[in-house]
Amino acid sequence: MRRSLAVLCGVVGALGVAAFVVRDTLVLDLLFSLLLFAVLGQSWNWISGYAGQISFSHAIFYGCGAYAAALATDAWHISPWLAFPIGALAAAALALAIGFPTLALRGHYFSIATIAIGALVDVFVRNSHWLGGANGFELPIATGFASLQFVDKTPYVLIALALFALTQWLTIALEHSKLGYYLRALRANHAAAASVGIVERRWKLIAFCGSAALASAAGVLYAQYTLYVDPGTIALSTSIDIALIGVVGGLGTIWGPPVGALIYVVLSKFVALELGGSGKGYDLVIYGLLIVVIATLQPRGIAGSIVDALRRRRARESAA
Amino acid sequence: MNEPLLSVRGLSKTFGSLRALDGVDLEVRRGALTGLIGPNGAGKSTAFSCIAGATKPTSGEIIYDGGSIAGMSYPAVAALGVARTYQIVQTFADMTVREATTVGALLRSRSVREASAKADAVLAFVGLARKRHMLGSALTIADKKRLEVARALATEPKLLLLDEVMAGLTPTEAREAVDLLRRILASGVTILMVEHVMEVLMPLAQHVVVIGAGKTIFAGSPTAAVRDPRVIDAYLGGSAPAATS
Repeated sequence: MRRSLAVLCGVVGALGVAAFVVRDTLVLDLLFSLLLFAVLGQSWNWISGYAGQISFSHAIFYGCGAYAAALATDAWHISPWLAFPIGALAAAALALAIGFPTLALRGHYFSIATIAIGALVDVFVRNSHWLGGANGFELPIATGFASLQFVDKTPYVLIALALFALTQWLTIALEHSKLGYYLRALRANHAAAASVGIVERRWKLIAFCGSAALASAAGVLYAQYTLYVDPGTIALSTSIDIALIGVVGGLGTIWGPPVGALIYVVLSKFVALELGGSGKGYDLVIYGLLIVVIATLQPRGIAGSIVDALRRRRARESAA
Repeated sequence: MNEPLLSVRGLSKTFGSLRALDGVDLEVRRGALTGLIGPNGAGKSTAFSCIAGATKPTSGEIIYDGGSIAGMSYPAVAALGVARTYQIVQTFADMTVREATTVGALLRSRSVREASAKADAVLAFVGLARKRHMLGSALTIADKKRLEVARALATEPKLLLLDEVMAGLTPTEAREAVDLLRRILASGVTILMVEHVMEVLMPLAQHVVVIGAGKTIFAGSPTAAVRDPRVIDAYLGGSAPAATS
């Protein structure tokens, strides 16, 4: 645990310095996206990696935060900072409502259920006038720390970095907590887990609510950054991107989602820009190929393979 | 405390039209090892599952430590102090030996640190301390069974249910297992042990219950069991138990 925290401090420190030194808006934009997707991938990793319930509707929790920010500024005229607790509560409540009946489903059945729920929420949002319907919201412009809007990109990166640090720290704590042990046990063998007194639904619901609340925090930042929220925010494609970040990086690992986010952001933003307008879609081809390669050669993901290698070494050393 | 720790009366379980259990009675005395034996398909594992809470019985009474546990959920029964192992080992594949044992210990621990310390003690007790950083899936079959026992013991049970822990072990491994079971008994844990082969139980059990075709057909000492005509009859034509003992 101490080593994980040391690595986290190092990474956050380096990124913090980078946020101040780098002046290129393109790079700062890349950095912001990286941190945001790392948080999203990590929050997804809680329920899908650690708890083993692969979800394809994680964007709806992200949407809870984004819409909370839009409603706070556009409709309720309150501080967008309040969107963090409001969005988190809404996301956790939604996760509770969705998770209670569906977390009893295992494997593909849960995944299918989440796709259906994502589609339902999409229809609901598109037809809800108070949620902006199909057009969504344009957030009113009001710069300054109190209104969580900045002309410069650096403050956004720093706030995203703080959220990222919090997410990673919580994940490290999760791995070393009763919840973390129980989730991994349930994922590995639910019958054996029940035999040592683990109540599956209770622990998975806790993980799902926490996961949803974290995703909503990323949603608040996203809305305050782009100043625009519409049903596209919660689309199935976003949910799939989040899931792929987790899978490519490594399910159930602390550093998997950030690594997955790095690959995703570099490919989707950088490659698309480098190849220009004519290269539209090439990033997806490269990304798709990468997923095929990882799924074939390293099914545990990039970070997952590293964790396995470290474990094998430790086992050899202790047996010798 | 003369009342039995576990008392089962008229336990029945039907799967569709199949009557797996048709009135099983058994008693497990405190601090002793009781054997539950019977030929293949007699219903030992089903009875076992019903007691552990993994399967809901169709009818019958299961009184554990003075209270009824029939139909209770699996985790609830575990919380009351009933732990089990599986006939086909059920490991937490991607966990190390120590982590898997810690999961068991967390049932009665306030922190992971406390649970890990308990896990280390249990692993030393069962003889897996040196392999604690290995993945459970990488162990030999004998060590996997040991890990199952460790995980169950880590929950600090009053009643330990063992499902054919001896099956598939070499004679040396079996001797070590017998020694381990004696030490578990000495630590004050009561054991109900399912076995297919009678001779394994002979040196350990003070009391055996024999099930045949879903019913209890004998209850008494192991030496009386092998001479009982009903038992001999249940084990195919009357020669098997005598031959194995």
